[in-house]
Amino acid sequence: MRQLAENPFFVLGLSPDASRLELEREAQKLLGMLELGFAAAKTYQTPLGPRPRTAELVRAAVAALRDPYQRLLAELWARHAPPPREAAPAPEPTSAAPGLSLWPRP
Amino acid sequence: MYALPYLIFMRIHRAALDARRRDRTWRYFAWSVVAGTTAALLVAVTLALAATFVRVGWWPLALAIVVLFVVPALQPIVQRRVLVRLGAVRAAYWIGRSVAIRDSEALGLVCAAWAHAGRPTPAGEAWLAARRDRRAPLGDAEITATALVAAARCDHATARDLLRSLERVVEVHPAVRELAGEWLACDCVARGAWDELAADARAARWPATSLAYLLEGVALRRTGGDVSRADLIARWLLAPHRRATYALLAIAAPPGPPVPPVPIESTAEPVEVEDPAPGERASWPRAIASHLELVTGTASSRSLAHAVRAWDAALGDDAIRTWLARRALELGVDDGASSTPLDDTGAPLGAVDRALRAVARAAADELARIADAAALGAPLTTGGPVGDALARQLRHGRLDSLEAGFTRWAERRSTGEVRAPIDEWREWCALRAAYDAAIAAGGLELRRLAFPHAYTTGTQMAAWLWNTRKEYALSHAISSWLLAEALAVGDSEAIDVCTRNARLAVPTRMGTVKP
Repeated sequence: MRQLAENPFFVLGLSPDASRLELEREAQKLLGMLELGFAAAKTYQTPLGPRPRTAELVRAAVAALRDPYQRLLAELWARHAPPPREAAPAPEPTSAAPGLSLWPRP
Repeated sequence: MYALPYLIFMRIHRAALDARRRDRTWRYFAWSVVAGTTAALLVAVTLALAATFVRVGWWPLALAIVVLFVVPALQPIVQRRVLVRLGAVRAAYWIGRSVAIRDSEALGLVCAAWAHAGRPTPAGEAWLAARRDRRAPLGDAEITATALVAAARCDHATARDLLRSLERVVEVHPAVRELAGEWLACDCVARGAWDELAADARAARWPATSLAYLLEGVALRRTGGDVSRADLIARWLLAPHRRATYALLAIAAPPGPPVPPVPIESTAEPVEVEDPAPGERASWPRAIASHLELVTGTASSRSLAHAVRAWDAALGDDAIRTWLARRALELGVDDGASSTPLDDTGAPLGAVDRALRAVARAAADELARIADAAALGAPLTTGGPVGDALARQLRHGRLDSLEAGFTRWAERRSTGEVRAPIDEWREWCALRAAYDAAIAAGGLELRRLAFPHAYTTGTQMAAWLWNTRKEYALSHAISSWLLAEALAVGDSEAIDVCTRNARLAVPTRMGTVKP
């Protein structure tokens, strides 16, 4: 769900109460970190699990939050979303169904 | 004169096999014993005769009678134990042909495909395809051979669908159906689909080989069917691969008493429960949590209905409207016009509705995508914005794609594009599966909307396939299906036409079938 996975507040890692100034500062900081290749800046947390963060996403997020209507929508989603989720461990490979090889199954 | 006893025994042997196909009672065992005894007698007498010929130096004659009389009697064992393991496609074809009397090529083709599945090679597949395409019109043997070739490519889903589609084909080669049923039974066991196999057994969909009969017994016993342990052991003794199937006797225990269902813990609270104090933060988190549960988990009708109701409740929540209006005012949301009037809360009129409409659209779009992927129907709603939008999207999207599919199919009549009969059959099966999935999801309303177009294109194609392509079984399958659909939606004109078409006698290689 794009509204959650790419929510500007999640992309910037800020709460929906953040002021305009805080948003701009955070965006600049993240762009700088991404430019320098900091591992901590390369992902952000969402209720759907971690997502890769790019400079384009950060720029789009801060641009969206400058528009009052877009910010209203982003706040609506971000305020009521469940807390961000950690990456789920890879599932154990499930064993095949009871394997009776009575007919050839290459 | 000397051959008369042999011919009598051969006749009894075949009669026993035919009788066995009709029964799933104690007679199955009796006929199996008769068939086995006659086969043993035939082989023993012929071998004794051949030994005599060898002793007097007539070894070419000895060889000839062994090939002519022993190999057909031992064909099931030779096929299963030798030819399949070797992947001897051509030998399986010719030995298979030697067994059947009527349309012997059909069994030969299927035996060859079975051998190919044992050790697949590109050359074997090409040879089989050439043999199959030479046979017209399409019948159950061509479909079964194609399914086994698909299984050889590890495409078990296609093989399963093709073999299941045999139920719609009027041409019946009992030996071919037996092998199709055995493959499906083994496939059910490999997938652990015991209920599916038990349903096949209860409906007696396929004539059972001794192996299929055993597997059906295990499935029935596991699902609470009336199969005793002694019956199961008798089936096991009769079946091939006793060492491999011995383990099945242990797992064929009758089901225990039903376990009361354990309530599933859900991250989202059920919507049906009235919140004593619904507030700004109650309905929205609940809607988003239900939505996320659907996105990240396995979609079911229940979870979809849950998410839709949660969204409709959230979007109609007065507390959220008040919050949105206040926040729109604080942020200075402009509605696009400088003279935008303010509502009674002082917020720009329309900002709240615009935001709620955007959320409803986003939620409905994603729910429609999930419902489509999982072939789920629109849940019954009481007219909320998400429920209505979802129902509209699903109905229109499914109807459009169905109509496009049927139109493309029928266009071939005019473009003159001729496909191999098996490809025609596969396309028809795919269209029917899409139709069934859409109907299952959309209910009777969608069925009534979809039928007229399916009927128009279907009758045109059925007539073309019958009159021009001479594909009688394929055409009959389409007409029968259209009749069943016409009856379901109550279209009297279509019922008349389809009844006439479906009652036409169908010429097949096994004789004319009068439905």
